[in-house]
Amino acid sequence: MGRPGAVLEVDRHTPPTLFHFGEGVRLEKLPLGSRILYPPDPLDPLQHPERAIRRALSKPLEDDPLKALLRPGMKLTIAFDDLSLPLPPMAQPDVRQLVLEEVIELAAESGVEDVHLIAANSLHRRMTEDELRHIVGDRVFTTFYPERLYNHDAEDPEGNVYVGLTGEGEEVTLNRRAAESDLVVYVNLTLVPMDGGHKSMATGLGSYRSVRPHHNVRTLLGSRSFMSPRDSALHHACIRQGQLIEDTVRVFHIETTVNNRPFPSVVSFMQKREFDWTPADQATFLAVKQFCDLAPPAVKRSAFHAMRAPYGMTSVQSGQVEAVHEQTLKAVNKQMLVEVEGQTDVVTMGVPYLCPYNVNAAMNPVLVACMGLGYMFNFYRGKPVVRAGGVAILTHPCRYEFDSVQHPSYIDFYDEVLADTTDPMLVEERWEQRFAEDSWYRQLYRKSYAYHGVHPFYAWYWAAHAIEHLGDVIVVGGEREAVHRLGFKCASTLQDAFEMAEQTVGRFPSVTHLRMPPVLLAEVT
Amino acid sequence: MSADPGIAGGLAGKTLLITGSTGFLGKSVVEKCLRSLPEISRINLAIRPSTRRPPAERLRREVLASPAFRRLKEDLGDEAFGRLVAEKLAVLELDLGREGLGLSQEARDELGRCDVVIHSAAAVEFDNPVDLSAQTNLLGATRLVTALTEAGGGPHLVHVSTAYVGGMLRGLVREELPFDPGLNWRHEAEVLSTLRPAVEEESRRPEILDRLMRQARSRLGPAGTPSQARAVERLRQRWVRDRLVERGRAHARAMGFTDIYSFTKAMAERAVVELAGDLPLSIVRPSIIESALAEPFPGWLEGFRMAEPLILAFGRGMLQDFSGLPDSVLDVIPADLVVNVVLAAAASRPPAGEHRIYHAATGSRNPLRLRQLHDESAAYFTAHPLRDRWGQAIGTPTWTFPSRGELTARGRLALRAVEAAQQLVERLPLGQAGTRWSDDLNEEKGRLERALNLAELYGVYVEVDCIFDTRNLMSLWERLPADERERFPFDPALFDWHDYLSRVHLPTVVRMSRADTGPRKGPGPSGSTIPVSDSNTALAALRRRAGRNDVLAVFDVDGTLVETNVVEYFFWMRLKDQPIGDWPRFMASMASKAPRWLYLERHSRAEFQRSFYREYEGLEVTEMRRLGREALNAVTLRRIYPEGVRRIREHKRAGHRVLLLTGALDIVVEPLAELLEVDVDCAHLLERDGRLTGDLQAPPPAGEARATLLEEYARRHEMVLPDSFAYADAISDLPMLEAAGTAVVVNPDARLSQVADQRGWRVERWQMPPGNWRLPMPDPRSVEYREGVGG
Repeated sequence: MGRPGAVLEVDRHTPPTLFHFGEGVRLEKLPLGSRILYPPDPLDPLQHPERAIRRALSKPLEDDPLKALLRPGMKLTIAFDDLSLPLPPMAQPDVRQLVLEEVIELAAESGVEDVHLIAANSLHRRMTEDELRHIVGDRVFTTFYPERLYNHDAEDPEGNVYVGLTGEGEEVTLNRRAAESDLVVYVNLTLVPMDGGHKSMATGLGSYRSVRPHHNVRTLLGSRSFMSPRDSALHHACIRQGQLIEDTVRVFHIETTVNNRPFPSVVSFMQKREFDWTPADQATFLAVKQFCDLAPPAVKRSAFHAMRAPYGMTSVQSGQVEAVHEQTLKAVNKQMLVEVEGQTDVVTMGVPYLCPYNVNAAMNPVLVACMGLGYMFNFYRGKPVVRAGGVAILTHPCRYEFDSVQHPSYIDFYDEVLADTTDPMLVEERWEQRFAEDSWYRQLYRKSYAYHGVHPFYAWYWAAHAIEHLGDVIVVGGEREAVHRLGFKCASTLQDAFEMAEQTVGRFPSVTHLRMPPVLLAEVT
Repeated sequence: MSADPGIAGGLAGKTLLITGSTGFLGKSVVEKCLRSLPEISRINLAIRPSTRRPPAERLRREVLASPAFRRLKEDLGDEAFGRLVAEKLAVLELDLGREGLGLSQEARDELGRCDVVIHSAAAVEFDNPVDLSAQTNLLGATRLVTALTEAGGGPHLVHVSTAYVGGMLRGLVREELPFDPGLNWRHEAEVLSTLRPAVEEESRRPEILDRLMRQARSRLGPAGTPSQARAVERLRQRWVRDRLVERGRAHARAMGFTDIYSFTKAMAERAVVELAGDLPLSIVRPSIIESALAEPFPGWLEGFRMAEPLILAFGRGMLQDFSGLPDSVLDVIPADLVVNVVLAAAASRPPAGEHRIYHAATGSRNPLRLRQLHDESAAYFTAHPLRDRWGQAIGTPTWTFPSRGELTARGRLALRAVEAAQQLVERLPLGQAGTRWSDDLNEEKGRLERALNLAELYGVYVEVDCIFDTRNLMSLWERLPADERERFPFDPALFDWHDYLSRVHLPTVVRMSRADTGPRKGPGPSGSTIPVSDSNTALAALRRRAGRNDVLAVFDVDGTLVETNVVEYFFWMRLKDQPIGDWPRFMASMASKAPRWLYLERHSRAEFQRSFYREYEGLEVTEMRRLGREALNAVTLRRIYPEGVRRIREHKRAGHRVLLLTGALDIVVEPLAELLEVDVDCAHLLERDGRLTGDLQAPPPAGEARATLLEEYARRHEMVLPDSFAYADAISDLPMLEAAGTAVVVNPDARLSQVADQRGWRVERWQMPPGNWRLPMPDPRSVEYREGVGG
């Protein structure tokens, strides 16, 4: 049993603190008296995941066992989360592979022949053959690809159906195959509390029409935070949509959670608290630091993106979506929650090389904002870690670099939209429509491996709450021009950043460092 | 002496004929006559009908519209001026370039009625082709004199010559017939005026044409035959002109003259004296005529003459040094003084059959030395500096006056070095940096060439170490009645150089050059750092033509829209198609062929493509099509300029039709065109039994073939090419760029960059955002690849 999360105060004996720095790392001395929030140690994984899965399928929550729902001649669709989860991609076998294999076996036993597997990638990019294979495993892949294993296409005019309007007037669309199936089994992997539940189907198999009602600035400003579903307008909307979907098609949810172990043992120093570093960890850190300082970006990128996470499954539950998700959230919170007293003036965060939207690609400046101010800032429950008007200090090289296959609309978003305004409201009002309906992006989304034209907007809206809440955002070590384009300030060292922050929050501010990843969820009282 | 009637008296009731009245001096003489000599009964202006305008029109537009007449118009009012002109001026159609002057009978009669003929027509540029100088200066004068003797009437001929007919002499040059190196002017006229056919013939010799063709090919080769042929013809014409100038200069120098102008003028003096017979003859030899001291207004000057380019080059800091003897006399004379000399000479008719020569020069009575000119200019430009393009004052250089040989040797050496560097830069595969360097070097080359040219042309003049005697002139001056000395001043001692240069001449030169002298206009720099988006003329044109469906936007693909070339696709597709064990052998074979492809690419893109596509021989069609589709994601989309795609979409939004016109193969371009939803015209390989043969179905669309394809396409789809857009990056696309109304040059190579600069085409730099770099090979770890090649 690992230790729970911790809040430590920096004193004279505190070793320098690790900051992620894109495709790199740095050690920083925090001011005396600062707090460091550490996530709980990884929970012990389930000893026999396959057995646990079988048990969950035969004893679902508030639903009949899966086997009872399967009958010959039925139309079965299995949807599963795409590669934005977990991060980094999991070492094989992926949890979803284990679940899929069990479900497919049950279906085969029950004589179900019409089975389709659909990656619920919503407006994310299509996955490549290799990426699909990695998630579902060789056996499933060779059996089903490409006719019966494919990516959801939210822009296929034939492939989506309009389901209806929720009580609040939100449109709902669904993948046609799923909508016309006798049973949809959704195979989920929940890494953070934002994932799973009704959001899986409503968003994952939705389209721009059905995502737009909650992926917008107003909703996200009302989601405080979107990592805390009970406080999140985004999730409330998803629940309304999900309930409408449940009325339309029979859905059986299988949700899994994993522990907090994103880093392979070669870079165990990233996983450990600095007090616990062994000489071997020190040496690895130095080696990694040297490599990152000297290697060209392309080399660093291929090294970092080759990392596979040794996540272990901590829970699996199936059945009716709400009952299942409640259990899931409990498991996730158990792994992530850190209690912390009172808000801080300045929060510091090391932004890593990876966010949900740049698997196997460079993290462009828009995604840096999305990761730092969207995801990391929002890992709170109750109140934000930093007070209103406080300052967030991020460390990231924030280079002007883009992957033009995955992020073509991001380039134009950066070059055109952010050059015009960074205010999320204005961005939405002036530009969203044009990007969302652009036929070039639609083509790339459908035929190449590009994120949808509207996706950079969502990445930007993700940060809207933080931008509104914060008095200032400072990026340490960023490329000046790119940081300014994002509307933030740029500092060369952490010390300079603190001096700049003092102009906003006054002398001797309180400082809290979120030592992520591994991810934590701060319960601020 | 009191019996002397003076200028007004001498010309009273006379009819004048003035040649060269469209020139600077001629115009000045006409103006002075109209303003100060109402006694003259009539002034005939000898004007040659030009191809564009009849003589009367030329009188109005080329003579009377000149600023020289502004004062008169202001004094009299437009109406009275019109009456005066109608009363006094008449056009006499006369062409000095034709035997017999091309006179009508009427004109011949009128010629017979003239009392005074002022011949001031000349080809005054020092670097005119030899035949033009001989025709105008020498033969023109002889034809005029012959016509005058034939017409009878015995008018007084005032022949305007130049002080430099004395050649490069030292010491005092007297007002006598020039030094004679033993030449027969008839023979000289005959030979020099007919040199052109010989030089034209020479220019068509194989060795010359070969050289010019090599030159054109190295600059424009890949643009195709028509462009290259046009360039050769341009080069040949320039060669002929340069050669004729060179011949003139060499001949003049060999005969002891500064240039072809003074040489032909010297020959003309001899000819005129010989042919004049009974005609009374006055020869006025001005030195270097510069802006007017006082009349019609201080600083009246037309066209750039001798010293102006030098002075400006000095003020712009372009001439860091200049040759010459600092204490040599630079004989410059204000134009109004020369006008008065001409009129005084015209009024003082020598006895029939005699000739008098007057030097209109300042050297003997009021010398200006080269050092003084330098110092005055330096002082003037220090007080009133010219500005560079950033609005900064340009400092003035201090000349050390080396010898001309030394100066030109230095300049030539620098020029050679720059040329060599440029050649080198253009041949190295440096990409965009190469283009930039080459442009800079080209600019430097232009600067050096201009400086060298100035040194060549004018160097001689500041080395002439002679003084022009003015005794005849002064005796004319002394005979002038006192009141006329006020109205027609021409004693060179009457003015002060410092005053003339600083108050009149230097300001005039600066004014006429329209150089920046003040700090920048409009609000000065405010220090504001608010970003200003630079205006994009191509985008503006695009928006102006929005909503039109007859506008075409044609894009080249490789290098323009996509940062890659046909090799990379091939490389990637072939690697994807074979097990990793075969890669080294394949790569080695590609590497061994690379130099040849590089060479061919430089020579002609069409030949390169043809040669390269042979590599496709024997490959399966369906397999290559599948790989082509995959290459789209793996190669093309990683290399496609976001700015280019934005531009294409902008065109589509504006309702324009978009065409990709490229020499790349259908298997790789068609998937891209499909994705972009635009038309495409590309290369296709022949197929046999499901395999590619490596032979092209049609010649590769390069050079002029592109322009033709574009025109055909436009005709088929009823597109208006003059309103259309073309985007391209290489010199081989030149004909295509020329065919469209709006040419946009994207990331040009050095050669196209220079062409774009000359034609004022918009040059855009499109870039790939970093973060896309991948080796052009499939990931060998990929399961998909391994299974694909059966691994």
